[in-house]
Amino acid sequence: MNGDERGTDRQQRFATLCETLRPDLLRFAFWLGRDRQLAEDVVQEALLRAWKSFDALAEEGKAKSWLLTIVRREFARSFERKRHELTDLDALVAAEADVLAAEDDAGLAEMREALFRLDDEYREPLMLQVMMGYSTQEIADQMGLQRGAVLTRLFRARAHLRQELGITSEPSS
Amino acid sequence: MMNCLEFRRHVGAEPTASGAEIDAHRAQCPACARYQDELRAMDALIGRALAVDAARLHKPDTAVALTEITARRPRWLALAASIVIGISVGLALWISLPRPSLAREVFDHVAHEPDAMSGTALVAPAELAGVLDPYGTRLRPGFGDVTYARRCIFEWRVVPHLVVQTPQGPVTVLLLRHRNVSEPVRLAEQGYVGVVLPAPRGSIAIVGQQKDLDGIARQIFEAVDWGN
Repeated sequence: MNGDERGTDRQQRFATLCETLRPDLLRFAFWLGRDRQLAEDVVQEALLRAWKSFDALAEEGKAKSWLLTIVRREFARSFERKRHELTDLDALVAAEADVLAAEDDAGLAEMREALFRLDDEYREPLMLQVMMGYSTQEIADQMGLQRGAVLTRLFRARAHLRQELGITSEPSS
Repeated sequence: MMNCLEFRRHVGAEPTASGAEIDAHRAQCPACARYQDELRAMDALIGRALAVDAARLHKPDTAVALTEITARRPRWLALAASIVIGISVGLALWISLPRPSLAREVFDHVAHEPDAMSGTALVAPAELAGVLDPYGTRLRPGFGDVTYARRCIFEWRVVPHLVVQTPQGPVTVLLLRHRNVSEPVRLAEQGYVGVVLPAPRGSIAIVGQQKDLDGIARQIFEAVDWGN
């Protein structure tokens, strides 16, 4: 394979990666930042960074985890850069109402809003576990935490959601 | 042996957890087993909630242009796609597995919260509104005194669970907007009787120990304003 062919192959592999994983990355970034425009920007920047360091991806089977890490870092950078003000949750919910809407399923829409209002430290591990299918150890690695801390956050995340949704807190016996 | 607190902390973080200790505790503690089942059901709801339509988040940009370069998927991606399809098919099959009957689900739910039937204090209007408002549901005056109002997980959905006092004793009412029935479904088990009636939005399950539940059910049914 000559240089041009290698370049084309690299582009093809990366483009396929984008096509396959971009929806998940967008969802991840959206729930991370609770802002559609921010999610777009973060994913765009993350993909550009990923393209530049694509050769560092040793095992393409780990591409999703690799890209999620880049999205997280890019989100942190973006957060520092823009110095987001403390967010008004009601305004955030209102701004993204059409994304959170679930026609004919009030319970689903309500769960979305409850997730939107969940603290970042609880929402992110929950997303990684439920949406991305990560194990608690993988979440710990991704977030730079001890596994015990992840377990605590996941437990509290669900407890908050149950409380927020008014779901009976404990079985009666 | 794992106690209830340890069990709940464990499954609260990992609802899909299993293993000898978990299974043993589940076998000896129905309340904890139910708790884990509820968490699993809630996780299914969380999964659906997180899976927002990416098209609503997405706009055409340079990354999309990159995708147009490709003409052929690499082998590893094809394999990954096969795995995803396999998981999806497996999930679909799992979801389509025969589920406990509606009657079983209703009775299990009522049996799971026995204390709900024994309360006599009226639920505060604000608390009741908190349970019903998200669904746009209202109770007309003929509904009766509500002594229990919670939102519970039922068949992977959050549903209002009420207990209303009638002259013949308390009855449990579940408002099942997600569950359509074409005709009344009658229930009878362990001294309880019940009926699930088709409603303007889904159905309504009414369970009690009264001999003449039909009259009570009709009165309750007519006193629910299902909203839009």
